[in-house]
Amino acid sequence: MKKEFLKTAAFLGVIIVGLVLAGCGESRTPFAGTYKSVETYAGKGNIALDLKEDGRGTWSLGGKTVEFTWLINEGKVFIYTKTGGILVVTPSQGGKMLSADMTGEWHPGCPPNSCVTFMRVTEGG
Amino acid sequence: MEDTKKGTGEPAALKIGQIGLEVNVPAGTRIVSQGEAPEFFYVIRTGRLRVFRETEDRIRTELTELGPDNYFGEVALVTGQPRTASVEAAVDSKLVKVSKEEFDRLLDQNPQLARHIIQQLAGWLVAGDRRLETEVVHQVKLRQISWFDYVLMIGISIVLALVFNIYNDNRIPLIQGWGLPSVPEITVGKAVQLYRENKAVFVDARKSAFYDQEHIKGSMNLPEILFDIMYPMFHFTLEQTPGVKDKTLVVYGGTISRRMDVDLARRFISKGLKNVVVMNDYWAWPQVFPIVKRPPKAAPTMPLGWAGILEWIPVSIFLLILIPPIRRSPYLSVFGRVFLGAIFIAFALSKIMRPAVFALNVVDYGMMPAWGVNLWALILPWAELVCGLFLILGIRTRAAATLIGAMNIIFIAGLVHAILNHMPINCGCVGEVGEPVNWVKVMKNVAMVLMCVQIFLYDRFFVLDRGGFILRDRKI
Repeated sequence: MKKEFLKTAAFLGVIIVGLVLAGCGESRTPFAGTYKSVETYAGKGNIALDLKEDGRGTWSLGGKTVEFTWLINEGKVFIYTKTGGILVVTPSQGGKMLSADMTGEWHPGCPPNSCVTFMRVTEGG
Repeated sequence: MEDTKKGTGEPAALKIGQIGLEVNVPAGTRIVSQGEAPEFFYVIRTGRLRVFRETEDRIRTELTELGPDNYFGEVALVTGQPRTASVEAAVDSKLVKVSKEEFDRLLDQNPQLARHIIQQLAGWLVAGDRRLETEVVHQVKLRQISWFDYVLMIGISIVLALVFNIYNDNRIPLIQGWGLPSVPEITVGKAVQLYRENKAVFVDARKSAFYDQEHIKGSMNLPEILFDIMYPMFHFTLEQTPGVKDKTLVVYGGTISRRMDVDLARRFISKGLKNVVVMNDYWAWPQVFPIVKRPPKAAPTMPLGWAGILEWIPVSIFLLILIPPIRRSPYLSVFGRVFLGAIFIAFALSKIMRPAVFALNVVDYGMMPAWGVNLWALILPWAELVCGLFLILGIRTRAAATLIGAMNIIFIAGLVHAILNHMPINCGCVGEVGEPVNWVKVMKNVAMVLMCVQIFLYDRFFVLDRGGFILRDRKI
């Protein structure tokens, strides 16, 4: 009985530790803040990107706002949409500029025709 | 250990005190070796001796320890058979060494000692039978595998997956689109007619990498997975294009999963767009429409860090299986269990939190029907986690190895399908993006299957459930 209990406890312990560790990523603080696209899009102005420290964020264009979650992995910003899409965003100039790869994939260097560049407006979130 | 009995009689009373040669044995000295011809009978005066057996693979089994007044070596002298165990001094010891001639003379002259040895032999035979039976039962239970093992692991995975999905912020429906209104369809023939008459706008719903590789000439691309973010730009482009207002919007690009095209059409309708349809034969468009085709281009590779290095380890199995003693080694099984367990737990944790991402990876392979995509994306990572934990903890290891091997075979089938069809997709194995699909990946998975086979055949060390938790009776 005791052995079974220990086995179950070990099993659950490993799961919990694993999930906790999986939830811990790199610090979001250096990239949290609000950003504005360098160019205008869809005749509706600039895209506003808000990265909050708690891992939530918004993408706004022409009054329409899309919510997402984000994290830092290997120094890159990963934006996760509700539908399962991923945008890989590469920071440059110490986080002042962000380049979002709009293909939904990762490319070494943002593809010129599918790249949205953001400039930091305010820090923190 | 037939020649190593713990004697209980006192040597002096058995008149063996007057014969033999007293020898000092330093700690660590091997006094008799398994398999050698018997020459002496020994009585321990002082010290402590260790009795053990050793297999060809140098797996050592400690049998017992002997102390002062114990004796050993008598059975081999009586039977004339080679030593069946080895004896070495655990500490500095003092022994009386009796030659075969002296021992035979002693038995002839000392019926008390002869009777004592017979009693010892009989007792040992009975104990040996019991030990044999215990070992057989133990081995049978260890090798036993039943459907219950699989039901247990798959059942735990399903329950955990469903419960976790309820509380997960990133939860997904069990079946995508279940209960939602259907999307109007048109036949491919009708779509071709609209195309020729320029009465339709064609929208490719797949990821841009697929679109770049092959698409209907003149079509637009709006990847369904980035709909929320990209729709404003797409809508603007649509508004700016003259003459599209009254045209039919034909969405294409589905696979057997019908995920991209149907979902995108449904989203267009929810945004208030009119005349939205999908093609009923989702696979037919490359044959009947003018196509823009580019040479296949592999998805770019993003470095995977430690996980990428770890993945190379199983490849060493191709060398190890060439060496028979290593191939059959239970220590290799233990290594394989820990390695596969760790890597499958890592695989699982990268997918569990965001099942929607993994579901899209499943869709990319184009092998899973619509009803199975989300269920697979929910349950598979938990099955990886449960089997990985079972392997590491030593619970139901043969069944866990079978399931992990089966998963690997499915992965191999998916990878080969993707490679042969030049699909510009990510593996979706460890990383979420930038992980290539290539033959090296296939080789790594084949190596992991071999590791599972090795565990299935030879695993017997460090398992927690030896002999326990067997629901099915089995006659020995």
